[in-house]
Amino acid sequence: MAAAGGTAALAADLEAGRRKAEPCAACHGRDGNATTAGTPSLAGQPVYFTHWQLIKYRDGRRRDPVMAPFAAVLSDADMADLSAYYAAQRPVRRPAVTDPARVAAGRPLADLYHCSSCHRPGLVGQEQAARLAGQDLDYLLRLLRAFKARTASDLDGTMTVATQPLTEDEIVSLAHFLATLGEP
Amino acid sequence: MRPFVSTSLAVLLALALASPALAQAPPPWKQGQPADMASSPLAPIAQPPAPKAPGEIPVDKIKVPQGFKVSLWAHGINNARAMVWGDKGTLFVSSRVAGNVYAVVDRGGQREVKTIAKGLNLPNGVAFKDGTLYIAEVSQITKMVGIEDKLDSPPKMEMVYDILPRDLPHGWKYLAFGPDGKLYFNIGAPCNICIPPDTHANISRVNPDGSGFEYVAHGVRNSVGFDWHPTTKDLYFATHARDWLGEDVPNDRFDVASKKGLHFGFPYCHQGDILDPEFGRGRSCGEFAPPLLKTGPHVAGNGVEFYTGSMFPAEYKNRVFLAQRGSWNRTQKSGFRVMMVTLRPGDVPRYEVFAEGWLQGDQIWGRPVYTRQMKDGSLLIADDYAGAIYRVSYQP
Repeated sequence: MAAAGGTAALAADLEAGRRKAEPCAACHGRDGNATTAGTPSLAGQPVYFTHWQLIKYRDGRRRDPVMAPFAAVLSDADMADLSAYYAAQRPVRRPAVTDPARVAAGRPLADLYHCSSCHRPGLVGQEQAARLAGQDLDYLLRLLRAFKARTASDLDGTMTVATQPLTEDEIVSLAHFLATLGEP
Repeated sequence: MRPFVSTSLAVLLALALASPALAQAPPPWKQGQPADMASSPLAPIAQPPAPKAPGEIPVDKIKVPQGFKVSLWAHGINNARAMVWGDKGTLFVSSRVAGNVYAVVDRGGQREVKTIAKGLNLPNGVAFKDGTLYIAEVSQITKMVGIEDKLDSPPKMEMVYDILPRDLPHGWKYLAFGPDGKLYFNIGAPCNICIPPDTHANISRVNPDGSGFEYVAHGVRNSVGFDWHPTTKDLYFATHARDWLGEDVPNDRFDVASKKGLHFGFPYCHQGDILDPEFGRGRSCGEFAPPLLKTGPHVAGNGVEFYTGSMFPAEYKNRVFLAQRGSWNRTQKSGFRVMMVTLRPGDVPRYEVFAEGWLQGDQIWGRPVYTRQMKDGSLLIADDYAGAIYRVSYQP
């Protein structure tokens, strides 16, 4: 899998990505570390992940009234540049109020449900699988619930399948655990 | 142990897979992995989000037999998969995770690529008949009537058949018209290895108006490539075998369904001679149709196409091209090539390489996934990893 990551990054232009990311900063932060609850951080997200999400916003598979107009005007090269820029930024754990009992309950659930099989140990993400460590708590909750409800856009069905056995209680615990990972 | 115990176990496992709420199932690609391989680094190869630029596509690395020549025919087609010709010379190209269907138009030696549908659910299947393009997504088949006259403002997609299972694992479909005028497609097993519901692990067909659904072949884990013999009209198909049973087993299969209703072994028997360690208990491989050919472990046989053109040497007539997208569940990579099969009635088919070179050492730069003959008898090969289409021609 290591061989696969290079292509998009190679063609991309980090400096162009920084410039193109300026309109995104209002919500996602200048360096891709968002501060608004409910808005995901993009810093440290794998290149393939961000690029595929932008494609899905542009073609309508992933629906969001705020993101749709931004994605609609992006070219393939814009997407490659933006994805490379955000992947190169240092991710900062979001300041979430987490419940220690939830965090403790969520830790074994991440193993039980094989999260690290795709998202890697530490849930740092790889290729098309998102970085989850230290992500915004509200966003994690929203996405996990949407995957289970089959309303979230899924590249190949892996997350839709993975979330089906989760109970609402487990979703909350998992999200609390994931939100505590990563560096402040 | 009394016989009913293992039956009960099988039923329980089937229930567990059919009702995900009961199971802490791993991701579909990891399902069936033995406990002692839990730390295996093997995992599916990620699909790049963008096609490669022409300068990043080393066509000269593709090796073909003497007298054949390979050129880059089209590029910039994200995740290019199955190909079918329209009546007026448009090449329709499917994709899988990119969610697009494309039209490629030849304008004076330059290929123009138009996206005619986007945001679809793994739209791997495309078929064409009487001016109408048929598209197979995970749970439905739709059509675009008169599409070739409206490439810049495609007609709406009309429903043809909408009650297919919604399972995403192996949910994408190959779609083709059989010699009987019916639309054929696969309904894959919703797992790596499981007792599938009766509705899954088969090749099926419907009439082009969506009526008359029926199963054609059973016990087929996932076949995403098939074609019919030009003279006998028998259905030949490739099948991806299960993962996590070993580096060198089981082989993928190439089969012939000489009549309707045969069972090809999944999940009980693999490659015609290996009983599944879990689901094969109490069964015998003799119960099932044996493979016509074992095509190699983990090679991922996709495209199947009989050669009927006249450009290639005479011995190529009625040979089968098998596009093998390549392995992930094997330490030393296998596949990443186009094979050819020469059928020899009463004898084992001859099986040899036609095109290879997408795998260099342990590194891949492309994945050949489907072929399609051109009118002049040359052969197109789609590469979903590079987002490109190559043309193989022959000049004696």
